[in-house]
Amino acid sequence: MRKSLVWMTGCLGFALMVPLAMANAWNMPVGVTDVSREIHSLHMIIFWICVVIGVVVFGVMFYSLFRFRRSQGAKASNFHENTTVEVIWTAVPLLILVGMAIPATATLKKMYDASDAELDIMITGQQWRWRYEYLGEDVAFNSNMSTPRAQIQGDEPRGEHYLLEVDEPLVLPVNRKVRFLMTADDVIHSWWVPDLAVKQDTIPGFINENWVRINEPGIYRGQCTELCGMDHGFMPIVVEALEEEEFDAWLAERKEAAEQEAMGVDREWELEELMERGEAVYGSICASCHQAEGQGAPPAFPALADNQQLIDDLDWHLDKILNGVSGSAMPAFRGTLNPVEIAAVTTWTRNAWGNDTGDAVQPAEIAERLSD
Amino acid sequence: MWGVIKSVLAAFFGVQRERQRQEDFENGSPVAFIIVGVVLAVVLVVVVALVAVQASR
Repeated sequence: MRKSLVWMTGCLGFALMVPLAMANAWNMPVGVTDVSREIHSLHMIIFWICVVIGVVVFGVMFYSLFRFRRSQGAKASNFHENTTVEVIWTAVPLLILVGMAIPATATLKKMYDASDAELDIMITGQQWRWRYEYLGEDVAFNSNMSTPRAQIQGDEPRGEHYLLEVDEPLVLPVNRKVRFLMTADDVIHSWWVPDLAVKQDTIPGFINENWVRINEPGIYRGQCTELCGMDHGFMPIVVEALEEEEFDAWLAERKEAAEQEAMGVDREWELEELMERGEAVYGSICASCHQAEGQGAPPAFPALADNQQLIDDLDWHLDKILNGVSGSAMPAFRGTLNPVEIAAVTTWTRNAWGNDTGDAVQPAEIAERLSD
Repeated sequence: MWGVIKSVLAAFFGVQRERQRQEDFENGSPVAFIIVGVVLAVVLVVVVALVAVQASR
């Protein structure tokens, strides 16, 4: 008897130790919103319920196996049905399930209540970047991964935030309810930031809602979590949560920059200016498919360098950039790039890598085409 | 009638006495069980819906 007790305690101790040891290192994060904290505590409550059930059920089973073994002369009793026991083992799980469902449903209700938001942000998934639009604020930008290709190809050592860094993070205020309206341009993506407890599919033609109210300023990282094509692993999410005043200052600055950019449409641009801007746009938007040297990756992604049709036909070239190519991976950029960016990147691709057309495509020309 | 209701409720719960089960199978027609079963299923759905509506107030 004493021996079996030692056994039992040993098994119990082991069963408890494993989850405790794993809890901190591999557990889901507590996060930085009220909802994420609730989800975490639900997760822990249900986890411990499972641990207790597991220990009790397997404890009884192993104890019975050991205590009533045949070598000790145990004899099986043969009987059929015991209504009382059956009622108990049906009712107990029922009560446990209802007990778990009540707090879980209460949290779900909170998660779905996106009403009374102070800021609306449209999040659009694209192959392979995120686009953020601050609705009603005239601020919108693309957020591209900024990890250098050399790190991905193993030519350079990996940085601290390898594959989890972007050129422009989504900037949010703390202590304000922010509503996300989420969709996609091409295929299904999913916007996931563990610390915000938001994991929402973005689906072409649908708008999903979600919301956060962040409690602590900081940088929170996430990834696309719906397999969306070749560069699925290369469209991370970075959220920068700022104090309210800092956020307001940032937004005002961005609005002013957007106005400046809009004014830039009307003036005449020099070829060098366009080339400089165009190289940057190409690097963040086009290079993932058409490659850094414009060589493409045929047949999926045609070469731009030495592309005779592109060199000969500006109209054709612009049509591809503005309207995309249906049935291919080439999206329409009329909605996601502004006239200056489109003019610049068109100029760049018409003059880089020996294309040498000498064309300086003016933003005003693009704006006119866009208004048609 | 009460016996049929009790048997259907036992089936909903998933536990039935062997003696009761044998009695049920001696009483010829299954029609009464089917009708009571459908009616009680509707009642169950209505009750769950009412509880859900009440709880979400």
